[in-house]
Amino acid sequence: MTPDVTHIPRRPPETVMRLKRLGSLHQCRLSFMRVLTRRMSREHWRFSRPVFDIDAQGVGHAVYTATGPARSYSLVAFAHDLPPEKRSDRVIADAWDATFALFDGIPGPEDIERLSRNVPLQEAGRVDETELSLSRANRSVRLWAHVVDALASGRQPDPGQIDAVGYLMRTTAVYGSGKFGAADRETIADRPELHVPFQAEMLSVYLTRTFVRDLVQHMARAAGGNSAADLDPAIARRLGIGNSTGLGMAPFIVNHPVLFNNWIVAREEAISRVRGLTKASAEEARAFRGILSRSGRSIDRWTSEHPIQMRKLADLRRDLAAINDYVARDDMQSGRSWDRLCNWSMAALSEEGQELIASLILEPYPDLVDGLADCMADSNADAFRIDGRMPVGTVRALIAESFGWALKRDWEATENCARAWYVSEEKLEPRLGARFEEPIAEYEQPLAPARDAAAAHAGLADWQDDQPVAAFLLRHPEHRHTIRRAQMSRIAPYGEIRDNTIGKNVLPIDMLRAKLSFFGATHFDPRSDRWVRICMYAGAPYPEELTEANADLWVYPDEAK
Amino acid sequence: MNVSLNEVEATAKRATRGAGYQWGLAEEAAKAVRWLCANDIDGCGALAGLIERFDGVDLAERVPLPDDTGWYGKGSVLCPLIAGAALSDCALDLADRDIRMGPVAAPCLLFPFAAHAARQLRNTVTVSWPAGAAVTDGDRISLTGPIGTRVDFITVCRGGLLGAPNRQMSRAMPEQGVWETLNRFAHRTYAPATAESRLLGAGAGLTDTD
Repeated sequence: MTPDVTHIPRRPPETVMRLKRLGSLHQCRLSFMRVLTRRMSREHWRFSRPVFDIDAQGVGHAVYTATGPARSYSLVAFAHDLPPEKRSDRVIADAWDATFALFDGIPGPEDIERLSRNVPLQEAGRVDETELSLSRANRSVRLWAHVVDALASGRQPDPGQIDAVGYLMRTTAVYGSGKFGAADRETIADRPELHVPFQAEMLSVYLTRTFVRDLVQHMARAAGGNSAADLDPAIARRLGIGNSTGLGMAPFIVNHPVLFNNWIVAREEAISRVRGLTKASAEEARAFRGILSRSGRSIDRWTSEHPIQMRKLADLRRDLAAINDYVARDDMQSGRSWDRLCNWSMAALSEEGQELIASLILEPYPDLVDGLADCMADSNADAFRIDGRMPVGTVRALIAESFGWALKRDWEATENCARAWYVSEEKLEPRLGARFEEPIAEYEQPLAPARDAAAAHAGLADWQDDQPVAAFLLRHPEHRHTIRRAQMSRIAPYGEIRDNTIGKNVLPIDMLRAKLSFFGATHFDPRSDRWVRICMYAGAPYPEELTEANADLWVYPDEAK
Repeated sequence: MNVSLNEVEATAKRATRGAGYQWGLAEEAAKAVRWLCANDIDGCGALAGLIERFDGVDLAERVPLPDDTGWYGKGSVLCPLIAGAALSDCALDLADRDIRMGPVAAPCLLFPFAAHAARQLRNTVTVSWPAGAAVTDGDRISLTGPIGTRVDFITVCRGGLLGAPNRQMSRAMPEQGVWETLNRFAHRTYAPATAESRLLGAGAGLTDTD
């Protein structure tokens, strides 16, 4: 009898943790948005809109409450009348079309009053322990005007224009975890519904999308009166929430090596489990083919004007054609079909196509995959502490394991350290500058682990293998940061990016995409090498539509429509 | 001020770095201040006092130099962050011997490092000084006697009975002036904005306002 499962090891960090591959990741079953919508439908969450107090100019506030088995959470939304010249997605903006806080519970009038004095100010205001996130959004001016005008004159908006933009508003920052006075992650991480990373933020964005749909309808009625049309629910469903993400997200994955490791490991473990299946049932093969086809429709709608992403999209479309050919020729059931497919993809496709395959093969296997989401949080606070007894020889080996490739590199050479990450005093905006052209080196943030690892390794050269590293650190506190990371790599082998993060050609958008793909974002559209627009929740059921049948695969456009 | 513990940690890290410490020590200072605040001890005030006192001082003078009797500095007083990190690094040594050091500035900043040692040893750890003592099991701490902004010597040893522990806090309440001091030091880590960096550093490219 043939065993049903063979052991396929996880792909090694030196394969996975390259920037080019991280910059090609796609959403999957473990994405945080999908984890949230699955839970809300499974637990029969209830949704209500107790307040919608917005005038004909679109100014006012609204409250959306989501209630799970144990607790309620409320999005408090403020709508503003923003002069066009104030509209900017940059962190340095100071006014927005709409601003939001996710309140822990159901807010009373005094909470709303307090929030109304602070939330519209965003970074310049303060929120409190009762708030779980703080965010803001700007309209897509062209799509907003088109949808309001169409509905006000009794027509449905043009689906072509809807698909070309994808959203009516885009968030330009969603702050959580203690920022600007909000509740710390640690105070909510033990709640089952918030244990998986970024669930509060994902809930905030999910409710924001509902608010935006309601607001555009409200504005159309205000303009068109009784002759205004109701937005077709099928068109509303195609609308996501956009998000504009700048450099701030890139340092996050470097600054949280254990957390980022846990995300990567969960996905790699899922991939390895599915590849290890000796055979697939007819139903599983059919499910995969269906998702592949629907994924193709999503990719059809993905556009970008950025040359880098245009090239990647061309690669992906070529890859998709090759995948379709392969799948048409193969029964996808026998002879370790998923492992064969992955092995073929590694030789035949670009990273875009390889990572698409790696994500899509997980779809037929909720039982093998979905539970891994519970391992994606970082609750190992002790990993931070340095073990000073560790012999120098062991530390050396750990550094070489993650950064062997970096040790021989000339880190003085201009092309290898051309960039420096810094924080601008202007609204504390994270930036990436030219080290040799701007006076920024003295402000450099510790975001070059490879260069620093090479320096620590060189610093250890004169020390004996059996000496405790504590003695070295007492003499060389400048290497504590690196020694800590090296020791963390024992429990977080996927915590380090295996590429130069300060080289002349580094593309921060690769780091942004890696993080955003775990949120479940689609349609990555870089606006430069340092910031990217994405779409969230496009295709998702709205709260009143959410069922267990539609809570998961909404990310793939429906074949029939 | 009523601030989140993440704000404490982020601000303390930047402030310590702004005061001239290496990033690795700044990270540890930040965790230490957060731990103190979570245990209802004014970690922000201790850090602000320390970095003001040591501003412009060569930190090499504040590094403990271990000899047979304890840890002493070349300068007049040890830095509790550097000594604390060293204590944390050799936490398991406390199983075999006590560690004595002094004099130490802002000595309450040593408590979080002693707490780490307690977790490592799976035992309580006692920090004692002439006017009092603190006992920690790693998560909580009990205090007897005032500690002040400097002590002449401190002994750290394994064991001790945890008394009535300090309250556990989910927020910190630093004094306004203390918070301003931390932010003043933190500000030293921020690059002045220039027109060029505003445009290029954040990667302005295609329009952001359509």
